[in-house]
Amino acid sequence: MQRPLVVIPHLVRMYVRTRFEYPGATMLGWLSQIVAYGGIYTAIALIVTRFGNLGGWIWPEMALLLSFHLLAYSLGASFSFTQFRDIEEKVRLGTFDAVLVKPIGAWTYLVFSGINIGYAGHVLLALGLMAWSLPQVGADWTPLTVLFFLATLVSSAAMVCATMTMIGATALVWVKSSHLYSIFFGFWELARYPLQIFPFPLQILMLTFVPLGFLAYVPVAVALGKPVALLGSAAPLAALAIGPLWVLIAMAHWHYCLRNYQGAGG
Amino acid sequence: MKLSAYPAFTHSAFQSRLAYRNQVWANAFGDLVNVFARIAIWSAAYAGMTVVDGVTLPEMVTYAVLVGTVLRWDHARLLHEVGDAVRTGDVAVYLLKPLHYPFAILASHVGHYAFSFVTVTIPVVLIVGFTAGLMPPASLFHAALFPVFWLLSWLVMFCIATLCGLLAFWLLTAFSLEWFLMGIMLLFSGAVVPMWFLPPALATLFSYLPFAWVHYYPAAVYLGKLDPTSTWLHLGMGLGWLALLAAAVAWLWSRARHRIIVQGG
Repeated sequence: MQRPLVVIPHLVRMYVRTRFEYPGATMLGWLSQIVAYGGIYTAIALIVTRFGNLGGWIWPEMALLLSFHLLAYSLGASFSFTQFRDIEEKVRLGTFDAVLVKPIGAWTYLVFSGINIGYAGHVLLALGLMAWSLPQVGADWTPLTVLFFLATLVSSAAMVCATMTMIGATALVWVKSSHLYSIFFGFWELARYPLQIFPFPLQILMLTFVPLGFLAYVPVAVALGKPVALLGSAAPLAALAIGPLWVLIAMAHWHYCLRNYQGAGG
Repeated sequence: MKLSAYPAFTHSAFQSRLAYRNQVWANAFGDLVNVFARIAIWSAAYAGMTVVDGVTLPEMVTYAVLVGTVLRWDHARLLHEVGDAVRTGDVAVYLLKPLHYPFAILASHVGHYAFSFVTVTIPVVLIVGFTAGLMPPASLFHAALFPVFWLLSWLVMFCIATLCGLLAFWLLTAFSLEWFLMGIMLLFSGAVVPMWFLPPALATLFSYLPFAWVHYYPAAVYLGKLDPTSTWLHLGMGLGWLALLAAAVAWLWSRARHRIIVQGG
């Protein structure tokens, strides 16, 4: 137990140092991501302001939804996306075997040897948009609601990390799993909008098998006191529970895939 | 190198995509979800209104479907390819061959696009057309001109993406270029919001930039939002932009190949 605690800070430090070997490229990467997200958020703002609202959500509420979506995603993905996306190549080339024989858990090694500081641009934009939108939405903020808001943020981030883990782990059995990321990001884009605007089957899907409805819509709707599609009064509890629940499922899936990993490269 | 050799790149790209069949299903599913989401977003925005700024909901749905499928270009693939070639040093191999690198990329991406068009775009358009409804072109004239604008759109997007990709020769990474281009295209091309819903000043500015020929003008021509005179005028302007962008690619390539620093190999 003590070994990972000693090794983790070293792994993180090494990765951060390698990224800052090219500080210009790193900064440019952050800026470019802010521009890209700024582009889509501006487009959404233009639609919402032109039509007054989107599914009953006015622009400041939409801005809070978008910022929560981006912040929860970037926190979860910084611990998982690039790390688990690259498993596929490690499996194909046979280098994943080297990860398995390290004197530290494979998941721990993968996650902490690649903590992606490239998401700093996402976090900066999300925090800026959230800071602008929070005073505008007129929600009744009490210590309990603030605590709920923060707890659901952690829960959503954990759900993202767990989902990425599951997709990456699938490559241990299927060799290829990158196409599953295409599906994930398809739903991830939908999670930027109020769930009730989508057809009923899609709403069901986004609260069950691909639970990205919990990424931002459910927690923000609860925080704003809006009725939550399909979940109703169970929404606050469900928003808190989704992260831990998905982590447990991801742990089971990860161990199953590790047990069934046979290698594909050499 | 003879021009007849370039189709080999097209054929090879098409064949290479056949190897990843799961990717086809995933892409088709992703595109379907994306298009139905666009339809849902515009239906929610209209919220019972039938016409906004002279545009009906069925017209807006058709616009969203066209932009989300037929006019959806995978510029990220091109940027990844150029970025990887620069990062790994593979670009040096291209320079040793008797070919023009931008033409080789063009030939290769024709193959990639043909594959996506056959396996993803056509099925998705058919499914969406039968379920959500797709308006026909506004007239025979507009139906005849739409494929011309569609081809122009592909070539303009190719030139813009190649220009960005070639900048990787200086930056040594295409990562940030891909994100910059994504942000620019989302806002300036009409990929999300067509010009008719933009504030007048922004609409005027964006409608003269080349990005509008990638998404907005082809879809507007299909819907008959441009009269014949205006359609011909915008076709001429689009061709002018294409010539300018192609010249920029040629110039940038002539500079880039003299300053290659191979890092990998």
